[in-house]
Amino acid sequence: MTGTRRWSDLAGRAMTWLTGGALALNLLLVLGLLALLFWNGAGYFWPRPVVLLTLADGTRVMGEIDDREPIPAIGPQAATTWRIKVKAGNRDLGGEEFKWIDEASIVSRSRPQNAIVLERVEWGNFYGLLAGRSADGTLVIETAGGERKEIPAAKIVREVHPNALSVWGKTGVYASRLREFLLDDPRESNTEGGIFPAIFGTVMMVFLMSFAVLPLGVLAALYMREYARQGPTVRVVRVAVNNLAGVPSIVFGVFGLGFFVYGVGGAIDRVFFADALPTPTFGTGGILWAALTLALLTVPVVIVATEEGLAAVPRGVREGSLALGATKIETIVKVVLPAAAPGILTGMILAMARAAGEVAPLMIVGMVKLAPALPVDGTAPYAHLERKFMHLGFHIYDVGFQSPNVEATKPLVFATALLLIAVVTVVNLAAIALRNRLRRKYTSSAV
Amino acid sequence: MTVAAATAQDLLVVVRETAATNAMTGEIERSSSRSTVPLPASVTSLVLDAAQGSLYAGMSDGRVAWWRLGADGSAASPILSPPGAAVSAITLLLGDRALVVGRANGAIEIFFPLERGTDKSLPRIRAFPSRAGPVIAFAPSPRGKGFLVLDGAGGMALLYSTSERVLWDGRSPIPNASSLAYAPKADGAVVAGPGRAVSLAIAAPHPEVSWKALFGKVWYEGYEKPEYSWQSSSGTEDFEPKLSLTPLLVGTLKGTFYSLLLAVPLGVLSAMYASQFLHPSLKRVVKPVVEIMASLPSVVLGFLAGLWLAPLLERVLPALLVMVFLLPAATVLAGFAWGRVVRRLGARVPPGAEVFFFVAVLACAAGGCLGLERLIEARLLGATFPTWLLETFGVRYDQKNAIVVGLAMGFAVIPIIFAIAEDAFSNVPRNLVSGSLALGASQWQTVTRVVLPAASPGIFAAVMVGFGRAVGETMIVLMATGNTPIMDWSPFNGFRTLSANIAVEIPEAPDGGTLYRTLFLAALLLFALTFAVNTAAELIRQRLRRKYSSL
Repeated sequence: MTGTRRWSDLAGRAMTWLTGGALALNLLLVLGLLALLFWNGAGYFWPRPVVLLTLADGTRVMGEIDDREPIPAIGPQAATTWRIKVKAGNRDLGGEEFKWIDEASIVSRSRPQNAIVLERVEWGNFYGLLAGRSADGTLVIETAGGERKEIPAAKIVREVHPNALSVWGKTGVYASRLREFLLDDPRESNTEGGIFPAIFGTVMMVFLMSFAVLPLGVLAALYMREYARQGPTVRVVRVAVNNLAGVPSIVFGVFGLGFFVYGVGGAIDRVFFADALPTPTFGTGGILWAALTLALLTVPVVIVATEEGLAAVPRGVREGSLALGATKIETIVKVVLPAAAPGILTGMILAMARAAGEVAPLMIVGMVKLAPALPVDGTAPYAHLERKFMHLGFHIYDVGFQSPNVEATKPLVFATALLLIAVVTVVNLAAIALRNRLRRKYTSSAV
Repeated sequence: MTVAAATAQDLLVVVRETAATNAMTGEIERSSSRSTVPLPASVTSLVLDAAQGSLYAGMSDGRVAWWRLGADGSAASPILSPPGAAVSAITLLLGDRALVVGRANGAIEIFFPLERGTDKSLPRIRAFPSRAGPVIAFAPSPRGKGFLVLDGAGGMALLYSTSERVLWDGRSPIPNASSLAYAPKADGAVVAGPGRAVSLAIAAPHPEVSWKALFGKVWYEGYEKPEYSWQSSSGTEDFEPKLSLTPLLVGTLKGTFYSLLLAVPLGVLSAMYASQFLHPSLKRVVKPVVEIMASLPSVVLGFLAGLWLAPLLERVLPALLVMVFLLPAATVLAGFAWGRVVRRLGARVPPGAEVFFFVAVLACAAGGCLGLERLIEARLLGATFPTWLLETFGVRYDQKNAIVVGLAMGFAVIPIIFAIAEDAFSNVPRNLVSGSLALGASQWQTVTRVVLPAASPGIFAAVMVGFGRAVGETMIVLMATGNTPIMDWSPFNGFRTLSANIAVEIPEAPDGGTLYRTLFLAALLLFALTFAVNTAAELIRQRLRRKYSSL
C-alpha cells in the first residue's frame, strides 16, 4: 500500500514539474523572441569595427564581419572548420557585397586606424582607407585591393572611422543613425535610409481609424447596455460582436476591397471624379478605406471594453443622478460616460495597438511599397485621403521578402520589427495597467 | 502552309508548302511536299491545329484518328480511339489541346491528345448530355474552353468543357441550319441556314465555375489524369484556369494541424499550472507576459519564421527532435532537485517559483542541444539532415516547410488558448478543489480527476478558438511557407492556405471576374468556418458559466 502510494506521489510530482516546464517553455519563448529582436534590431546602429584581412593567395579584403558559421561538412571525421561572412560593400567597383571567407585561408587580420566607412546616397556602403581629403569635401579612398576612388561630398550621407572612435564617439554615431532611421526617407528601394513615411502612414491611419471606431463602438455599446431590452435580440447581437472579433483579418480586407474600394469608391469616382476616369481616384486603395476597414476590424474590442466600463459604473451613482431630476440622456452624457471614460480609453488603446500590427487587410486596401508623397502635405486640401501610404508592418513584409538584396536588408527589417514591437508592447502594457487600476478602483468601491 | 484532304478512295493527302526568307540576302526559298497515306475508314470530318503539327479526323466507324505531322508534312501512323457511333463533326477548342467530337447519335465527347516524350494517347475525357439529333456543327469560343453545338433536330446549346456545364440549351433560330460561327469577342454568334443568317448575342459571365470545378477532381488539358489543382492564371491567352479550392483547404487544415500540435499541449498545460499551482503574486507577473505574447503582430512572427527560423531549422532539426525528449526529462530532474533544495534550506518560497528556475534550466538544456547539434548529426545520421532524409526515405526537405509554420503559428495561438483555458480552470469552484484535498487526494490527483474534467468544456472551447485563429492566419503563412498549392501532408514541404491565397491573388484579380468571385468565395468559406467554430465555443462557455454560477 505504501509502495504504490509513494510511486503515485512521485509520478504526480513529476507530472506537476512537467506542467510547470510547459509554462516555463512559454516564458522562455517569449523572452527569447524579444531578446533576439532586441539584439539584432538595436545592434544594427552600433558602428562595428572594420577589419583588413590578408588571405593566403595574397588578396586583401576589407569590411565588417557579419556572421560566423561552421562549414557544413559531411562525415564524423571532418574537423569543424569555420567561415566568416564579410560585408565588403563597394558595389560600384564590382564584386559581391557579401563575401564568405574560410578562416583557414586568412593569413593576417588587422584593424587599421584610418579605416573609413562611407554611407552613400547610392551604391551602399564604401569601405577603404582614407587617402586624402580635398577642400570641397571630396574624399579620396583607397580600397583593400589598391584602387583609388574619389567620392564627392554630395554623395556621402555619413562618414565613420569606427576603429578610431571611443565608446563616446560610437554612441554619437549610434544616435545619429537612430535619428536617421526614425526621421529620414528611405533610399535604395527601401533597403537603406529611414522609415519615416512608414511611421507617418501608420500613425495617420491609426488616427483616422480612431475617429471612425470611437463613435461606432461607444454608441453601439451604450445602446446595448443602456437602452436595449436584455432579451434574445441583444444576446444574438453580443454573439455577433464576439464572432466579429474572431473573423480572420483577411476577410475584413476582402470586404473592404469589395465594398469600400470598388463599391463606395467607385461610386464616388463616377459622381465626383468622372473626368479622371478610367484612372481611379477613390476607386482604388487609399488611406481612407484602409482606416475604415481597420475600424470595422477593431470595433469589437471597443464595444467589449466600453461595455465593461459602463458595467463598472456603480448603480448608486446612476440612481442618484436620476433621483436628482436628470433625464436618462443627461445621466448618460454627464455622469455615466465620464465615469466610464477610462474603460473606453482602454478599449481605444487596445484597438490602436491591434491596428498598428495588422498587415493582411491593408495589403489589399491601400498599402504600397513606396509612396511618392505623404497623405498630409502643404498643398490644399492638405489631407489627401485617397493617397496610398506606407505602413510599418507592410514595410517589414516588403523589405524582408520582396527586396532585391535580402541579405543587406535583414538588419534593417530587424530594426523595424523591433520598433513595431516596442510600440505595440508599450501601448498594450499601458492599457493593461490602466485596466488593472480601474478594476481595483471600482471593485473596492462600496456603493 | 498545310492542306489536308481525304479523297473518295479513302486516301489522306497532305500537302505542305514552306517559304523561307534568307535573312542576309533577302531571297525567298520555296519548297513543297506532298504525302499520301491510306485511311483506316472513310472520313467525315478533318481538322488541323494552328501549329500545323497535328491532324485529326473523325471517321464513319466512330473512331477518331490523330496524326502527328513531320516537318515536311508527312503523316506517321495515327493514334486511333475506340470505335462507336459514326462521327459527324469535330473541332479543336481554344489552345488546340482538346478535341470535341460530335456523333451521329447526338453524343458529344471531349478527347485530349496527350504526348509524353514518344508516348502518345488519345483518351476520352468527358461526355455531355446527348443531343436529340445528329451533331451538325461546332463553333469553339475564341476566349475560353466553351463551344456552341448545332444538332440536326433544330437544337442548339452552349457548353463549357472544363466545368462540364451546359450553359444554355435551346432551339436554333433557323430551321435546317447548317453552320455556326462564334464572334471574336465571345459575345455573340452567327447561325447560317438555307438563304438566311441570324446573329445572336451571348452573355456567359462565369462559365468555368461549377461545384465539381471548385471542389472535385478535374481532368485538365495536358494532364495525365484528373487532379486537384489551383493555378489561376498564366502568361498565355489560351490558358485553362484551374480553380480548385481543395488544395487550399487541405493546406489550411495542414497548417492548423501542425500549429495546434505545438499550441494545445503548451497552452493547456501552462494554463493548468498557472491557475492551479502558481501563487497569485507570481500569476500577476506571468499573465502580462503571456498577454504581450498575444499582442505581438503576426507580421513580425512571420518575418522571424521566414528569415531566421527557416535557415536555422535546416541546420538544427535533429537537435530539435532530440530536444523534444530531452527538455521534459531535464524539467523533471530539475523539479526534483528544486524540491530537495527547498526542503533542505527550509526556505519560504511561494509555490510556483520553480517556474523561473525551469526557465534557466530549459535555456541551458536547449543551448546545450544546439551546441551539440553537429555531434548529433554526425553520430546519429552521418550526414546533414536534408541529405539523410532524401537518401533514407526519398523525401525532399524544403527550407520553408510545415514545421516552421507550425512553430511560428503555434507561438501565435498559444496565448489565445492559454487565456481561455486559464479562465476555465480558474472558474472551477474552489469548494470542489478543497473537498477533494480534504478527502486525501494529492494536488496532482485533484487537478487531473476533479478540476480537469470540470473545466473540460472550457478547454474544448479554448482549442476551438485557437483553431479559428490558426485557420485565418495570413501573414505567418505568407512569409514562412513556399506558398505552393500542393496536397501533401508531409511536414517537410510547404503548402498554401485559403487566407494566403486571397492575400496574394486578389490585388491582381479584375473586379467582377471569375477569379475575383472565387476569392470572395474562399473568404466566405473562411468566414463560415470561423463563425461556426466561434459560435460553438461561445455557446459552450456560456453554458459552463451558467452551470457554475449555480454551484
